[in-house]
Amino acid sequence: MMIYDFFISIFHNELIAAFLNSIIPVAFIVPFALFAVYLERKVSAHMQDRLGPMRVGAHGWLQSFADILKLLQKEDIVAAKADKKLFNIAPVLTFVGCYAVFAVIPFSSAYIGANLDLGLLYIVAVSGFVVAGILMAGWGSNNKYSLFGAVRSAAQIVSYEIPTTLVIITIIIVTKSLNLYDLSVNQTSNMFNWMIFGGYVEGWHKIALIPFMFIGFIIIYISTLAEVNRTPFDIPEAESELVAGYHTEYSGMKFAMFFLAEYANMFAVSAIVSAIFLGGFQSPFGYLGSTLNLPWLIPIEQFFWFASKGIFFVFVQMWLRWTLPRLRVDQLMAMCWKYLIPIAVVNLLIVALIMVL
Amino acid sequence: MTTYFKNIYSALYTVLVGMKITFKHLFIPAVTIQYPEVKLPMAERVRNRLYVNMDDCIGCDQCARACPVSCITIETVKSLPTDDPGKTSTGKKKALWVTRFDIDIAKCCFCQLCVFPCPTECIYMTDAYEFAEYNRDNLVYNFATLTPVEIEEKKVNFAKMEAEKAAAKAAPKPATLPASEKHSEGGAA
Amino acid sequence: MTYYTFAFYAFAAIILLSAYAVVTSKNVIYSAFSLMLTFFGVAGFYALLGADFIAIVQLIVYVGGILTLMLFGVMLTNKITETEIKTGVFQVLPASIIIGMFSGVLIASISNNRWTVAEKLNNPQNSLVGIGSILMNEYILIFELLGVLLLIALIGAASIARK
Repeated sequence: MMIYDFFISIFHNELIAAFLNSIIPVAFIVPFALFAVYLERKVSAHMQDRLGPMRVGAHGWLQSFADILKLLQKEDIVAAKADKKLFNIAPVLTFVGCYAVFAVIPFSSAYIGANLDLGLLYIVAVSGFVVAGILMAGWGSNNKYSLFGAVRSAAQIVSYEIPTTLVIITIIIVTKSLNLYDLSVNQTSNMFNWMIFGGYVEGWHKIALIPFMFIGFIIIYISTLAEVNRTPFDIPEAESELVAGYHTEYSGMKFAMFFLAEYANMFAVSAIVSAIFLGGFQSPFGYLGSTLNLPWLIPIEQFFWFASKGIFFVFVQMWLRWTLPRLRVDQLMAMCWKYLIPIAVVNLLIVALIMVL
Repeated sequence: MTTYFKNIYSALYTVLVGMKITFKHLFIPAVTIQYPEVKLPMAERVRNRLYVNMDDCIGCDQCARACPVSCITIETVKSLPTDDPGKTSTGKKKALWVTRFDIDIAKCCFCQLCVFPCPTECIYMTDAYEFAEYNRDNLVYNFATLTPVEIEEKKVNFAKMEAEKAAAKAAPKPATLPASEKHSEGGAA
Repeated sequence: MTYYTFAFYAFAAIILLSAYAVVTSKNVIYSAFSLMLTFFGVAGFYALLGADFIAIVQLIVYVGGILTLMLFGVMLTNKITETEIKTGVFQVLPASIIIGMFSGVLIASISNNRWTVAEKLNNPQNSLVGIGSILMNEYILIFELLGVLLLIALIGAASIARK
């Protein structure tokens, strides 16, 4: 049973149920962002043979709460020459763009915000709002570093959307569905039915698909990494050149919104990659709930697997961040246009050929 | 075309090598220490906060003169023959009451030049380095052991003695009054 | 009032207000961002009409593509190379004649049309499969020609940019 139906059975009102249904991802994103900030600090620290935050709480686990408290208390500064309207709308728009993605991500078989048939395309579509929000922030700040950061960021997101979309099209050819929920359900709790192992296709096609699915997986991971502006693709916020890119002028709660949007986005792309290629919320080993004959346990287990896959990919993003140096702009564009897009196109053609045969 | 695939291969390969290295470092124990709880051992001849062992100080003013930044201020008063300022640890008898021994550690440049001239080795550098203060005045350390009352007493005693001496000198030869007055003024200052 | 009508009027209000802002705003960047809202409202209309694929393509093409391109254009000309972008009222007479004619055509076609609600509206279905099969069967030639047209435009743009 979906959580939405559960709400309807309680309140007998579609509006209240829809509203409650739509705020569930917030209840996940905010604790996740707090945890991810802590994880980021600890991972970076341990990769550099440091300890990271140790003071606030045991091993500094309350550090992110202290940070949030600090951000909440901070003065909300609007630069005198900033374009006040755009400056104030931009963080909201960026966060809305990020949050809209969570509408189609299946958290478990019992929860998905909106079970859209065009879920994958919808994700590509709403990321346009993030671009607009970033450009708005860069323009509204009236600061050359912000503007350059925003323009770079938007250019990067727009360019890297192409390989992402090409890989998504590759997936559509195999699955014949754009619905992320169906995609996750069809991949089943058997690891070898996951898309990265050729999906739930029958016969020799499955074996033939495996290498191309791996290539698709690597391409979409790289391009989504670039879309969330993480190192090694972080030239939009390159500290050494642009202060902090498009959110240079922001402070207090508005900065917190950008921050939240960034971490929400990190999780969103990880969740999408795992939903497409790694079974989404499906467990790799079957469910304890079905073995013990406890049907209510299965959605909880699924949520656990979904969250752990997402967090694992977020961890890999951090891992890459503390391993690789930043790319130059020309390298970034060469990577996208000379390597990812041609490979994705060839990959698409080969997969199409395999599926036709 | 070969370079194209070589580029792809080397990109993936080097990224994996880098990731392997960083992953290994995840499990290497931290090389940093938790500072206020754990402290690194100091070098043997480390130069940090100055300390004066006032039991040994004879008020010779040599450290103050050696100081390149004039951060040491010493004032002394001669002791009376009846007083006993005590002895140094080497058994030398002190002749002066040290009424003021201030070190402005904020000025100190930790050159250790004051340490060498000290005849009794009573001024030395310790290994204490955490002495930050909220108020700069708190960085002026007063080492003099006498209380203000005692200092006043010693000064008065000395002035009295000088006056008595002057009086004693003046008594047999009243003619040379101006000279003895000058002498007593100098002694009181 | 059902949720559907409420959503319809909300989207209509968004479209009208933002379109008004696009036209009247003196600041080009405000016009561009208002245009984004207009596109969003139109996408909402499509979604309400059960045309989910068109709605999403509207967002992808207009918000993700054309609007970003316009914003880039404005930012690169106005802020970075510091060229003034003129905003103001020009050519009032020819513009009002053309608008008058166009609105006459619109009003005529709206009033002469017999408005019927399609059966599918009450039971929206996934339009993607239908659109795909139509594009790939009946209109394959036009589809391919459009692809060629876009390719020519792309090559032209690249060759102009190289000069």
